[in-house]
Amino acid sequence: MILVIAEQRDGKLNRASWEPIIAAQQTGDPVKVVVLGQGIGPVAAELATAAVTEVITVEDATLASYTADACVHALVAVIAAEQPSLVFASHTYQARDFATKLAARLDRAIVTDAVASKPHGSGLAFARPMFQAKLYADVVLQGPEPHFVSYQVGSFRVDALQKGTAPAPVRAMAVDMSGLAIRQKPEAPFREAKQAVDLTQAERIVSVGRGIKTPENIDIARQLAEAMHAELSASRPICDAGWLPFERQVGSSGQTVAPKLYLALGISGAIQHVVGMKGARTIVAINKDADAPIFEIADYGIAGDLFEIAPAMIEALKG
Amino acid sequence: MATWEIWLFRLVFVAFVGWFLAQMATRYTLFMAAKDNLSLEDLPARVGRFVREVVFQSKVIAAKPLVGLGHLAVFWGFVAFGLYTMVEFLHGLGIVDLTEARLFHYYKLLLVPFALAVLVGITGLAIRRGILRPKALGDHVSKESILIAFFIMTLMLTFLWTLRGLPHGLERANWWVHMVVLLTFMGLIPNSKHLHLVLSPLTVFLKSPVLANLPNLDFEKEEVGLEAVKDLPRKQVLDAFTCVECGRCQENCPAFGTGKPLNPKRVILQNEQALLGGKADQKLVELYDEGILWQCTTCGACENQCPVGIEHLPVIIGARRGLVSNGEAADYLGPVYNNLERRGNIWGLLYDQREKFVKSAGLEVFDAAKHEYLVWLGCAGAFEADFQKSLRALFDILRSKGVTFGVLAKERCTGDIAKRSGNEYMFQELATQNIEEFKNAKATKIITSCPHCLKTIGLDYQAFGFHADVVHSSVLVARLLADTPAQSAGETVTFHDPCYLGRYATHDEEPRALLARVGATVIEPVRNRQNPFCCGAGGGLLFEEHEPGKRISQERFEQLQATGAGKIVMACPFCSIMLKGAQASANAPVEMVDLMTYVDGKLKARSPGSPGARADVM
Repeated sequence: MILVIAEQRDGKLNRASWEPIIAAQQTGDPVKVVVLGQGIGPVAAELATAAVTEVITVEDATLASYTADACVHALVAVIAAEQPSLVFASHTYQARDFATKLAARLDRAIVTDAVASKPHGSGLAFARPMFQAKLYADVVLQGPEPHFVSYQVGSFRVDALQKGTAPAPVRAMAVDMSGLAIRQKPEAPFREAKQAVDLTQAERIVSVGRGIKTPENIDIARQLAEAMHAELSASRPICDAGWLPFERQVGSSGQTVAPKLYLALGISGAIQHVVGMKGARTIVAINKDADAPIFEIADYGIAGDLFEIAPAMIEALKG
Repeated sequence: MATWEIWLFRLVFVAFVGWFLAQMATRYTLFMAAKDNLSLEDLPARVGRFVREVVFQSKVIAAKPLVGLGHLAVFWGFVAFGLYTMVEFLHGLGIVDLTEARLFHYYKLLLVPFALAVLVGITGLAIRRGILRPKALGDHVSKESILIAFFIMTLMLTFLWTLRGLPHGLERANWWVHMVVLLTFMGLIPNSKHLHLVLSPLTVFLKSPVLANLPNLDFEKEEVGLEAVKDLPRKQVLDAFTCVECGRCQENCPAFGTGKPLNPKRVILQNEQALLGGKADQKLVELYDEGILWQCTTCGACENQCPVGIEHLPVIIGARRGLVSNGEAADYLGPVYNNLERRGNIWGLLYDQREKFVKSAGLEVFDAAKHEYLVWLGCAGAFEADFQKSLRALFDILRSKGVTFGVLAKERCTGDIAKRSGNEYMFQELATQNIEEFKNAKATKIITSCPHCLKTIGLDYQAFGFHADVVHSSVLVARLLADTPAQSAGETVTFHDPCYLGRYATHDEEPRALLARVGATVIEPVRNRQNPFCCGAGGGLLFEEHEPGKRISQERFEQLQATGAGKIVMACPFCSIMLKGAQASANAPVEMVDLMTYVDGKLKARSPGSPGARADVM
């Protein structure tokens, strides 16, 4: 059985938590999900829509705000009761904090930041990027179970989630949290991205550059973005000119993004823009100038008129 | 003089001198309490500067000739009157009376033209300050300055009056007015901007011959930069007391000029107030207006224009060091430092891109036995497609002139941004690693196309004992093409002097010589040559997110556009990024081109069959 640790904050599920559930579902093993907190009934109900054996909740005042000590204490109890062979989590900032601590507490093996798994003997090997993802190592965990795995955010498509025909049962587990000395003091959470628009979380981005020519033409890009269910962003000159708000600027002096798909419309690919989007998994560039540096880094390029291509794409996506 | 008169004068004299000395003592104590950073290194340069800037007032006159000449007249008047004043004091104090000597009489006659010049000069300056009121002098008229001007006029008039035989009573009254005004003037000096009379010859002499002098921090001695007022070292304390509030720094500051809160004059005056106010423990970042420390592009205009030898950059960058040491760097620098630490370049890119460029440009790894020059590519040369065109052009010119060159197998950022933004630790890390590579390669002659690399490798690395002959491509190519016949005048262009080339390295002539040689006529923009207006990128501001006020790059682009030239020639990768961005934002139909690309293009157009001539492959 695989136990997946889901994350929530203020009663809102972290959508990255779906990914380790998908990873667990794909192994074919039974999957249980555990979520910690206080007043997390709705979160548990949301998790129960997935095709899993059951959702376990641990509610306590000490778990209301995340602390590594309380989280590990509760999870140790859950793992002792459930005896899973594998424990999955998403490699979030929280998991970086508690997952290694949990593994060390139980003296079990852990692989962090995994992106995939494949069968290896009777068990699994987990792929893990090395050297800035130039290489992938297959890691086989040794020693007694359970083994711990944290998955890189974005490793699985959320639409690959298997939903259950009926909601999975939700079970509250009582864990004695009394007498626990919590050494961390949670403060009010802050968001690292101070912008109202958080492009860093976007899966798809349509970005416009100077090739768009006039502020009115931004609308073409906006329509394309809508058709693609993508966020709209821009290079510095567009934001400097006030055609789009600064929150949507990508580049060395704007946000650094890493979507799965980055469509660059009329962007020349000046270095200060490139450094903000080079982490995109797939880069598609449309530019009139076949010599534009953007084509150096683009996976797919169209040297042509964006005013012909973009409307055709919108048409195709809508149709 | 009657005995009672002598005794009365002695009393007055002691009172006024006591007043003067008491005020000076406060300042002297503050000066002595500060860390000693005074240096007399490079004495010839200091003497040269003293003669130019103190004796001939070059910095006062340069940008404002009329005002400067007025000031020169007053200054020379003061000097000329020195002996006269001394003789009168000796007389008044009853020590020795030389006033009746024939020589003294001739001397007085000689002083007449000086007195007239002072009168004209001071009247002009008073009218400017009191009536014309230029912005740089602040928004209120300094009553004290007007009073001092009135004093100086009185001194001259009372002197001139002695030349006419006056009745005894009137003559004595005139003498007393002259002496008491002089003593009052002296008493007012320490607590006013007129202290520059006493201190500026010193500050000018003590000013570093190098712009933005920031000796390496010694981590062994736990130096962390400037955190509080008490950390300001002696030269900076002296600077604070010397400021004459003329506002040349403020007028030339690109940040202030585009509506940002940073005002270099205010920084110096805030140092003075804090020092005199006994706020030794006040943190500099709290003393200054919010955010100003991160608005400086380190262009050096303030320091370079200051007529009284004040060094602003050691304060601004010194305070940045203090902040960075405490983990309080500006937000936008975080990712840059991360990139430098993890990848060794400001972009955070992998060096395989540099290798690709090195291969495609047919470059060899530097071998001292085979190559004369080492070409330093830099962060821009290694990664920026646009600047790589410029480097390819340089390579073609070098090859066509038979110059042998190679590149390092591995480069890291020189540390320019780290040094200028106050991350001294990272700068020293990068510098020592690069110097190691240079030494291993036995490179002694280095070419760079980046003015920032020029300053860092050429000057800053000297602090590590690395002395190489580092040359900017424009300077070397100007030398190489010196015997090429000049092309006849063709198109008109404008040239943007990079701060780190024109101002820091004073290479403003070579790029123009190059442009002239290939037939371009340069229309000068406002702010050119050794006092250019910054593009806005320096000091790490290339990565700044939001600029308060107008973008500096926008302002500079408009200045360049206003020349009416259809082409803007640039010679620095940072300037190119900033100004091209500004052009794109303005959507202006003007061509922007790098100097090397431009020159090479012109040379090839002249002799299309030459070996270097080929289409640029990207």
